[in-house]
Amino acid sequence: MEFGFTEEQLMFRDSVYKFAKKEIVPLVEEADLKSEFSMEVWRKLGEMGILGLPFPEELGGSGASVETCCLAGEALGHAGVDQGHLLALGAHTYLCADTIFKHGSPDQLKKYIPKLAGGEWIGCMGLTEPGAGSDAASITTAAVKKDGKWILNGTKTFITNAPVCNVCVVYATVDKALKHKGITAFIVERGFPGFSTGAPFHKMGVRASTTSEVILDNCEVPEENLLGEVGKGFEYTHETLSWDRSSLLAPFVGALQFAIEVCSKYSQERVQFGRPINAFQAIQHKLADIKIIKEAAKMVVYRVAHDKDSGKPLNHLHTSVAKSVVGDYGIKAASDAVQIFGGYGFIHEYPIERFLRDVKLAQIGGGTSEMQKFIISRILSFM
Amino acid sequence: MNYDLTPEQLSIKDNFTKFCTKEIEPRAALLDEASHEEVPGLIKENIKKMAGIGYLGIGHEEAYGGTNLDLISQAIAGEAVAAACASTFLSCGASSGLFGMPLRLFGSEEQKKKYLPGIIKGEIIGCFGLTEPEAGSDAASIKTTAVKDGDRWILNGTKTFITNANIADVAIIFAYNDRAKGPGGGVTCFLVEKGAKGFRAGKPFNKMGFRGSPTAELILEDCEVPDSAVLGTVGSGFIHAMMTLEYGRIGMATVCLGIASKCLELANKYSKERVVFGKPINRFQDISFKLADMLIMSDTARLLIYQAAWAKQINHPESAVLASVAKVWASETGKQISDLAVQIHGGYGYMKEYPVERLYRDARLGEIGEGASEIQRILIAKDLLRKHAA
Repeated sequence: MEFGFTEEQLMFRDSVYKFAKKEIVPLVEEADLKSEFSMEVWRKLGEMGILGLPFPEELGGSGASVETCCLAGEALGHAGVDQGHLLALGAHTYLCADTIFKHGSPDQLKKYIPKLAGGEWIGCMGLTEPGAGSDAASITTAAVKKDGKWILNGTKTFITNAPVCNVCVVYATVDKALKHKGITAFIVERGFPGFSTGAPFHKMGVRASTTSEVILDNCEVPEENLLGEVGKGFEYTHETLSWDRSSLLAPFVGALQFAIEVCSKYSQERVQFGRPINAFQAIQHKLADIKIIKEAAKMVVYRVAHDKDSGKPLNHLHTSVAKSVVGDYGIKAASDAVQIFGGYGFIHEYPIERFLRDVKLAQIGGGTSEMQKFIISRILSFM
Repeated sequence: MNYDLTPEQLSIKDNFTKFCTKEIEPRAALLDEASHEEVPGLIKENIKKMAGIGYLGIGHEEAYGGTNLDLISQAIAGEAVAAACASTFLSCGASSGLFGMPLRLFGSEEQKKKYLPGIIKGEIIGCFGLTEPEAGSDAASIKTTAVKDGDRWILNGTKTFITNANIADVAIIFAYNDRAKGPGGGVTCFLVEKGAKGFRAGKPFNKMGFRGSPTAELILEDCEVPDSAVLGTVGSGFIHAMMTLEYGRIGMATVCLGIASKCLELANKYSKERVVFGKPINRFQDISFKLADMLIMSDTARLLIYQAAWAKQINHPESAVLASVAKVWASETGKQISDLAVQIHGGYGYMKEYPVERLYRDARLGEIGEGASEIQRILIAKDLLRKHAA
């Protein structure tokens, strides 16, 4: 065991941090306030090579390991980039583009990955439906083959990036009776007849990422846009889980470090009863708690990355522990951080209230805290 | 990063778990309920057993009979011992760790030769005397004094809450030799042997938990030791103490983890056997989610302990903070886990026939011993405030 990073990784992390601090952070406060996805932020992420990290160079990426992808996410969160843009990045690169990369045909790879890796196109992933959240195998969006085309009908909801997407990996069932074994993945472009997206939802947090429904109304998908094999879609969603529990959580680890730093500084500047508030143990203890949770979150998230990098099969204990620690402890840390800032922690001009709203999503999105406990308890019942 | 255990570490885990399950765990309740008269004999026997499979030598150099394993391996072995019997972990740790580690780090060749082989074989038992009735978290306020008198030192003072005090053959005693210099340069460590003039152990304390590991005062009344009893250099005692406690914190975190993993194992097993309303209680989410919480907390504790051990091993600049982080997490979640284990056992969890009753009492020490949670948090916060100045 060893828990350090290589010199090269540390240099990469520093360069991402510095770039983000200078070029991206100044743009995010307004984007969050207005609930607007910033194309400028997106272009800069593309410019930095962040959107294509895990893909090979010949497809416009840089062949980074999962661990390095996590380091990038951590550095962006640490710099103070909002979780909204970082969720947009996560949904795009890891949930959409990587699924195409892993299961696509050579033609599909050539067609989609370079566009997605550079950020020219924006991708999303459509699994969740109004009636199928935690119970994802119960989706009802139907795919029927007709005259050499697939006809898709159904509604996807809570789809990150849907309002701005050019392409969506859609999961639909070819036969509801087959349950999860009927679920099939398709690459659906915005221009396909019958594809539309709903009005963006107004969200509590991650506000600069756009979220809406994806509506498939007799949507015509060319045969060559079937992704992978019929009936394998549910397996593919499981593969994205390891991204979901590593590189999509890493920005929160960075945000915890950001919170530690701004709270440390603020508690030294803020004077009450004639002394800086950091002289009070109640404040010191909160600071320490945020640090403890950050270390815990870092350790559980990078373990999932290590599993994935070493090509191990998905370890559901590891992924569920990672999700639980980041969500359930992260929200406590964020709440402590707001508390240290007092009244200022409650207003938008100070850099911390956004984190509390954002981290709430980590308890819900991509599998609720309850689902994680359900999964863990199922495994325990066989132990 | 690499989270994989080496083949050697995997076999350490396996060997210690097998040995402790067979040899130590069946005696845990016996030790817990033994009288003050019975405890010394029973715990010495356990220390001997653990020495027999090399446990007391894993942190020591080969030259003295140790195997010099890395700190992660030590944590792996320690978890297995603690899961079987937390008292055994504590008494072994006080002897080979709290006593043995400063000897390894600061002892002369002669001192190491004199004590370490015996400690490693379980033939000599050591203890660590820092805490005093009025100096716990604030260790710099100890009152014990050492006065040089020709080629000997005269020690006066009282140490308290000393694990192994009444079974130890030798103790490390911290005393002020020059109060004016303060803790930074005025404290010295002494090796004081049982039988030294003016040195005795008090009556064992009657504790809530860890009842199989005896604890008592050490009383020094014009206690005489030769100059050769000085450990390390005169005046460096406080620094020696703080360096030792960093290992001690990882050790205390490890014993909490061992208790927690045993609680999870027992509660999980019980939840599958106990039937209410026609089904095993693990089919109810209010039980199964408690089990999941126990796993989340203990699994994370293990990672934080491994991280702290790794950091200490490579002298990472943050090693002290990471040891505090691991200790707070492991001790506080350990307490919660033991509480949940009792709750899952219901009425049976409250009875001595079920081991979770003992584990619950044992777990409570974690937040107090080796630096209370409050002190750990302050150490962590002070480090952050230094690093991130306004």
